[in-house]
Parts: sequence; C-alpha cells; structure tokens
Amino acid sequence: MSAIWVWIENKNGEISSISKEVIGAARTIAEELGEDVVGIVLSDDVDAVAAAAFDLGVDEVMGSEDDTFAAFRVTAAGPTVAEMAKEEEPAVFLAGASVQGSEIAAWVAAECDAGLIADAIALEVDDEMVKATCLVYNGKLMATTFVTDGTQCITLRNRAFAPAESTGDDGDADLVDAVKTEDEIGAKVTGFASAGGGVSLNDANIIVSGGRGVAGAEGFAPVRELADVLGAAVGASRAAVDAGWIPYEHQVGQTGKVVAPDLYIAAGISGAIQHQAGMRGSKVIVAINKDADAPIFKIAQYGIAADLFDVLPALTEAFKERL
Amino acid sequence: MKVVVCTKQTPSTTAAITLNNDGSVSWEDAGGKPNILNPWDEYGVETGIRLKEDGKASDVIALTTGAPDDTVGLKTALAMGCTEAIIVADEAYAGVDTLGTARIMAAAINNIGDVSLAIFGRQINGDMGHTAVQTAVKLGWTPLTQVTAINEIDDDRIVVERAVDDGRETVEAPLPVVLSVSKEIYEPRYPSFMGIRKANRVKIPVWGNDELNLDDAGGSKVDWSDIYDIPAREGTVQMIDSDDMADAAKELVDSLFEEKVI
Ligand SMILES: Cc1cc2nc3c(=O)[nH]c(=O)nc-3n(C[C@H](O)[C@H](O)[C@H](O)COP(=O)(O)OP(=O)(O)OC[C@H]3O[C@@H](n4cnc5c(N)ncnc54)[C@H](O)[C@@H]3O)c2cc1C
Ligand SMILES: Nc1ncnc2c1ncn2[C@@H]1O[C@H](COP(=O)(O)O)[C@@H](O)[C@H]1O
Repeated sequence: MSAIWVWIENKNGEISSISKEVIGAARTIAEELGEDVVGIVLSDDVDAVAAAAFDLGVDEVMGSEDDTFAAFRVTAAGPTVAEMAKEEEPAVFLAGASVQGSEIAAWVAAECDAGLIADAIALEVDDEMVKATCLVYNGKLMATTFVTDGTQCITLRNRAFAPAESTGDDGDADLVDAVKTEDEIGAKVTGFASAGGGVSLNDANIIVSGGRGVAGAEGFAPVRELADVLGAAVGASRAAVDAGWIPYEHQVGQTGKVVAPDLYIAAGISGAIQHQAGMRGSKVIVAINKDADAPIFKIAQYGIAADLFDVLPALTEAFKERL
Repeated sequence: MKVVVCTKQTPSTTAAITLNNDGSVSWEDAGGKPNILNPWDEYGVETGIRLKEDGKASDVIALTTGAPDDTVGLKTALAMGCTEAIIVADEAYAGVDTLGTARIMAAAINNIGDVSLAIFGRQINGDMGHTAVQTAVKLGWTPLTQVTAINEIDDDRIVVERAVDDGRETVEAPLPVVLSVSKEIYEPRYPSFMGIRKANRVKIPVWGNDELNLDDAGGSKVDWSDIYDIPAREGTVQMIDSDDMADAAKELVDSLFEEKVI
C-alpha cells in the first residue's frame, strides 16, 4: 500500500478548481506520510491534463485515454479506476466532494470494499493515518474520522483547502486501457446545457445572499447590483426560494448548497439553523438585518442593523469607489 | 413495474442535539417529534408515487435499514402513498457505514425481486449520496444521481435530466437503474389524514439476515467515534452604526479591505 491518489476532474484539457484544491491537500499530507501524489486522469485527451497536473506538483500521472471518457460518466470511469486501484492498492484516494468526485469515490470504494469519508473540511496525519474533520448531525456537531483499514477514500469539501500552486514540473502519464467499451456502458449522455451565466455558488469567493427580507423577486435587484460590483455569486435563503423569488440553484443551507466563500453577505436573512448549516464555514460573514436581535448577528463578524434597501445601495456605491 | 424507494429516519431538523459525556449523541425536539423522514427522501417518495399515479409503477415499496423501531420515515412514506414498506434490522448490521448500507439495500432489493427502479434521496446529512452509487455497484445497475426530471420512462428504458457540476445533462439508460433525486424533481405532498390513519394500521415486516443471507454486511471501515462540539466562531460581531448609511457603508468596506477579504 502506498501513494496518495487524486481524482482529477477535467474538461477541455483543464483541471477543475476543486481538483486543484484536492491536489493542494494531497501535497500537504504527502510530505508527512512520505508518499507520492499520483494524479488519476481519465480523458479523451490526457496529455494537456497530465501536463497541468505535473505543473501542480503531482509526482506521477496514471490514467486512461479513451473516447468513452470525453464527458464524465461514472459507469465508464468507475470500472477503470477501480481496476487500477485493485492492482495498485493506493493508501489514500482523494476526490472533490462535487457531484463527479462523490460518484467516483463511491464507486471505487464500493468495488474495492474500502472505507469512505464524505465532505472533509480538514485533513491531518496522525501515526501514518489520515484523519479527516467533517461536520455531522446536520452541521450541528463535528467529528474527526478515519478509515480503519485498506485504502482510505475521502472526498474534500469545495473551498476548504488551498489550491496547489504551479511548480513548473513536467512528466509523462502512465496509461492503461479502458475497462468498458461504449456498448457496455449503460448511460448515454444525449444532451448538455452548461450552467447559464453568473458566478456559481460553488466557485464564488464572495456571495451576496437575500432572504425573506427582500420581500419579492424585484427585491433581489439591489442584491444583484452589489454582487455584480464584487464579481460575487447570488445566494438565497429557503424562504426566498420557496416564495418563488429566485430559483432553487441559489439556495444556501441544509437543503441547498453548502458554501464557504471568503465573504458572505446576508441581507434580510434571520439566520435559521438550517441556513447556518450552509454558510457558517464562510471566512467573514456580514449581516444586514432590520432586527438587531436576529440570530445571524451571532455568527457574523460585521453587522448593520438597518433596512437592506438602504444598506445594499450604499455598499454598492462604497465598493464602486474602492474597486 | 416495481419501484423501491430507499428512505431513512433522521433526527428532526429542529432537534436540539446533545453530545453526552460518554461521547454518545442524543436529541430532543420541542415539537415532540424528534425523528422524521429524511427531508431529502420526501422527494424520492414523491417520485415513486407519481410513477404509480402515471400508470408506470405497480408497486412503490419504501425500504429502510436501521433499528427495528425506526419506522417513522416508513410510516410517512406509507401515509404519502407508498404501497408497501419493509424494514431491514438485524444485530449483525449495527453501525454499518454507507457501503454496509448499500450491501443491505442491494440484498433487500434482490430479495424483493423484479425491481426496475430504486430511488434514493440526494443525501442524508453530508454523505453526498454515496449510498445510491454504492447500491448500484452492488446490484450491477446503472446509477443516475442528482436527477431533476424524468423525461421518459417505459418498461425497459429511462431518460432523465441531471444536475451535474457545470450544468444539466440529459441521460438515457436501460432499466434497471438506481436514481438519486434532487429537490427540483417534484414538490412532495403532505400525507393525507386518511393516509396517516391507514399507515398507522400497517404492520411493517422486519427482515433480518435470515432473509438476506449476507456474509459481509456488518461493520464499518470508518471510525466515527470522535465527535465534538463545533468550536465557536471566534470573536463577537462588530456592529456598525447606521445613522449615516454612506458612512456606515464606507466603514464596512474599509474594514473588509483591511482584513484583505476583498
Ligand atoms: C427540513 C428543512 C430544511 C431547511 N433548509 C433550509 C436551507 O437549506 N436554507 C435555508 O435558508 N433555510 C432552510 N430551512 C428554512 C429555515 O428554517 C428558515 O425558515 C429560513 O432560512 C428563513 O429564511 P429567511 O431568513 O430568509 O426568513 P425569515 O426567517 O423570515 O427572516 C427574514 C429576516 O429579514 C429581516 N428583514 C425583513 N425585512 C428587512 C429589510 N427591509 N431590511 C433588512 N432586514 C429585513 C427580518 O428581520 C428577518 O430577520 C429549512 C427548514 C426545514 C424545516
Ligand atoms: N439506512 C438507510 N436505509 C434506507 N435508505 C438509506 C439509508 N441510508 C441511506 N439511505 C438512502 O441513501 C440516500 C443518500 O444517503 P447518503 O449516501 O447517506 O447521503 C438517502 O437519501 C436514502 O435514500
């Protein structure tokens, strides 16, 4: 058992931001474990991705090049990665806790009968074992968990780890054949529409969110204006989504997205426990609420107790002056 | 067509969770209902019931594994309109991890027999839907996760929309499949009064290892014993005086630049 494997999400030759973070996390534990970081790349064109992975500091790239890997399908990628893992028995298998990363990690762990930890927000090495910190019980408690034997499969939360930086290194990928042919892969992707415009919640450094306090679909206008000035994504509480003021994609919280931007501005949001579950990992929280006793102020660094329709335009102006 | 909906009973979202001195966790709810159907599974149950109402599904069977009295979720599923419920409980299955759950789900689905579709919720609390994929691997079926719509379904194939990381995908697959459904699929209904009364009278069959004959379901390869309170966020809130909004905004913006958040 050796090596830390990192699942590298790629599209059009580029590595996704979450995979850069996973490589970064792998590099920090690699030194302590004294193991190599191996990037796992499945693609219809491995070379560009492999080069980018070496540049981000992986020691080796293993993978497979096949047309069946053009768009990610776990039914295509899973069997090939699982076979590689059975052969090589990596000590650790890391992936992002994205849709794709969760699927590949679940598949590989299932085929290899390995333990799997989901959505870690921190990793540490303790006696050659990787320990992962996770939120449990709906984000109400924390746990330090580890896989007791065999390959340690762990998915890592978006934006919880610093991305790997460029090293200028290069190398050659070590390729194996795809395990499944197109005919043997159950699922066929017959259509794709990319997430339209705007900054996505998952990737955003800054999120400006509106809640019931915006009082209508039009009430999101000042939220959007501030977000535009900051290059931020727009979030929402469930109350705003349920009222039909903004689509579900924008919902932050226990039954929406879990986010951890550098800055989270909550306007007209009371800060219910289910909303907090989705945003309390943000580095800095700013709360804007008419009610000075709203629970959101308990987890915020900065608060303004006033009408959001006064505060947001003033903030937009103040940022415009500085940016 | 037979449809299985996998559901789990979870602590109520408003429950106050207590970490006890012995490291165990317990919870209470002011509303008197400490346990509920996992909110994400309401969408799976709704999807199953719609397939029945649309004449596609003959049976919609709610399935869970847990303690023998973990029936709150199943009763809700029955009250919403599932045709049957089964609970899998065996001492040998205590404390399983997601992979153990997946082995149990797969064995139960095989034991039910002739199932075309197994529907899962998106997640419980942060496991990110591993169980659906792992159950599919154990069954040898195709997993389709994060399904936002079923466009077409007939006796041997399904076409769905999925929310993937960078957009939406249309996928076609032969049955049987394992689906995990997202919140966008349908608005779950409330159980009807009659439904609740009927569900309360149902005696839910309990299956154990005598029925499933698993030799490797038990145990967990993940150690979860070290649970603790979340460290409080440091510091207290700095309230910015809002008498002059332009000044207040400037003060906040200056602080954010100083902290290098921007
Ligand atoms: C199973 C379950 C899952 C849930 N999941 C989520 C989830 O994922 N995400 C989520 O957000 N919620 C979730 N909730 C709902 C959650 O409990 C709250 O109901 C919701 O977060 C409240 O949204 P809000 O803060 O926008 O509304 P409210 O709680 O109504 O708060 C509105 C706030 O706006 C303030 N306000 C009003 N007008 C103004 C103004 N002009 N200027 C400034 N302030 C103003 C008010 O003082 C108030 O504090 C869930 C609930 C359940 C039961
Ligand atoms: N013990 C269980 N019994 C039945 N279904 C379960 C169980 N655990 C998980 N599931 C199903 O798996 C889904 C995802 O759970 P998870 O993989 O834990 O995030 C849930 O929404 C349920 O549909």
